[in-house]
Amino acid sequence: MNLNGQLLTLVRQGIVVRRRSLVVWSLSIGLMCALEVAIYPSVQDSISVAVESYPKALKEAFAIGNLDTVEQFLNAEMFSLIVPIALGFFALRAIARDLADAAEHSYLDVLLSVPLSRRLLVAASFLATAIELIVILLAVTLITWIAGALAGAGLPLDRILAGSMNVLPLALFFAGSATLVTGAQIQSGFVTGLTSGVLVGMYVVDLVGRLSPDIEWVRYGSVFRYYGSAIENGIDPVAFVGVSACAIVLAVIGTALFEWRDIPG
Amino acid sequence: MAAIETRRLTKRYGSHRGIEEISLTVESGEIFGLLGPNGAGKTTLIRTLLDLLHPTDGTAKVLGLDSRLDGVSIKARVGNLPGGFSYNPTATGREMLWLLARLRGMRDLGDAEALGERFRADLDRPLGQLSRGNRQKIGLLQALFHRPELLILDEPTSGLDPLMQEEFMAVVAEHRSRGCTVFISSHELDEVERLCDRVGIIRSGRLIAVERIADLMRKSHRKVSLELAAPLADPDELSSLPGVGDFKSDGVTISFTVSGPIDPMIKALARHTVVDMDLTHPSLEELFISYYAEAVG
Repeated sequence: MNLNGQLLTLVRQGIVVRRRSLVVWSLSIGLMCALEVAIYPSVQDSISVAVESYPKALKEAFAIGNLDTVEQFLNAEMFSLIVPIALGFFALRAIARDLADAAEHSYLDVLLSVPLSRRLLVAASFLATAIELIVILLAVTLITWIAGALAGAGLPLDRILAGSMNVLPLALFFAGSATLVTGAQIQSGFVTGLTSGVLVGMYVVDLVGRLSPDIEWVRYGSVFRYYGSAIENGIDPVAFVGVSACAIVLAVIGTALFEWRDIPG
Repeated sequence: MAAIETRRLTKRYGSHRGIEEISLTVESGEIFGLLGPNGAGKTTLIRTLLDLLHPTDGTAKVLGLDSRLDGVSIKARVGNLPGGFSYNPTATGREMLWLLARLRGMRDLGDAEALGERFRADLDRPLGQLSRGNRQKIGLLQALFHRPELLILDEPTSGLDPLMQEEFMAVVAEHRSRGCTVFISSHELDEVERLCDRVGIIRSGRLIAVERIADLMRKSHRKVSLELAAPLADPDELSSLPGVGDFKSDGVTISFTVSGPIDPMIKALARHTVVDMDLTHPSLEELFISYYAEAVG
């Protein structure tokens, strides 16, 4: 079988194995977004008043500007924190499960008994994760748009799509990070723990940088600096491509390490 | 061409021992058994041959190809049953076999259905719902279904009932008859004795002997325990027989070891009334001791 055929087989297998998890993540995030959009028309006036009373630092920290539009509201409630953190975790766990969990349970001994290169195995895991993220984000977009249309929130589909898809490079960055950590230390708990720590740590670094102008430079150490608010301002193509490229570089380095290392039995 | 050839193959995990300077040749078409207690290094040797572990030193060739450089090409021609076989518990055996078949570029399940019937394997239940023995059958199927040139089987009969062990031996014999080389790792002496042409004995990571089975058994001893109807008038009658050692007599209860042919002992006992008799092969550990005693002596 040629490499493309093997890659396709593995990607399809990865998605089939995680099909239930795909539905659960799509529905849970999608329905949360839908709920926010659906309630917006009824809370629009009171929320604007409430936000005005928030401390300035709090508003800066969580990028809460005026909540005069449903886009601003959805960004503040979902896309600035919950969605990127949740899908970052989804992505890193997908990689950890495909590689580190599989090694710990000796499943890799079976898979690597067929004529299959390790780099193809890693590439398939990364690609399957990317496809799953796109599926979840499209589902979130669709569910949110339907909820908005039903509630009369007037939320354009292209805005939701931009906000959703902007999460993709960020989540892939943590998939790449998980690949790198797996290449260095193929233990599921270690991969999940360390990469989750990086995810939360980067968010906190970005938050601190926003709160304290004197140390704003620390934000350059966080991928969240390049995230922005695509639902309001559209996708920044430079940030989108740059973060995606970083994710791929991390995954490539992780693949090289994975190729070089022993597979624990 | 040798099916497997290692030269001073060494694998260490930091300061921990894996295998040390193993030089071994397994000829094409033979059934070779690797014997050793748990933790001796059998699985480490197999996983190094399959490039799951990278050797610290030395070289390994499988089917004439370098295990480090040609791992993918080697695996196209090898069937491997990993020790303690396990796979995604939510997948059925059939789903797993289809995945492996596709990855091997096969358009069907090869011999899987026929082998599944012989082993009475349940291909349609999730692996997580199968008993250890039934899961092991699926493991054997995935090693055998594509008709490999070389079979590498780590503890293949682990968990199988006696009937399935017989079936396994028949299947291995059939594979050998069509030219397949079989490399079996086991700590079951009986299994290796019945199947293999030659065995290697591995202990503490080192290959301490490679013998033909007949030679190994000649060097081993059997333990004999007897209960006679009446005490022996002359214990020398048994203790002086060729190959008899460690002779202990307590009136009608007698125990000793016997190496080599047992026919003289049987003929000597035929002159007495034997109430009970127990004849056992030594454990692997005892075999090692016996082997060493002879090698040193």
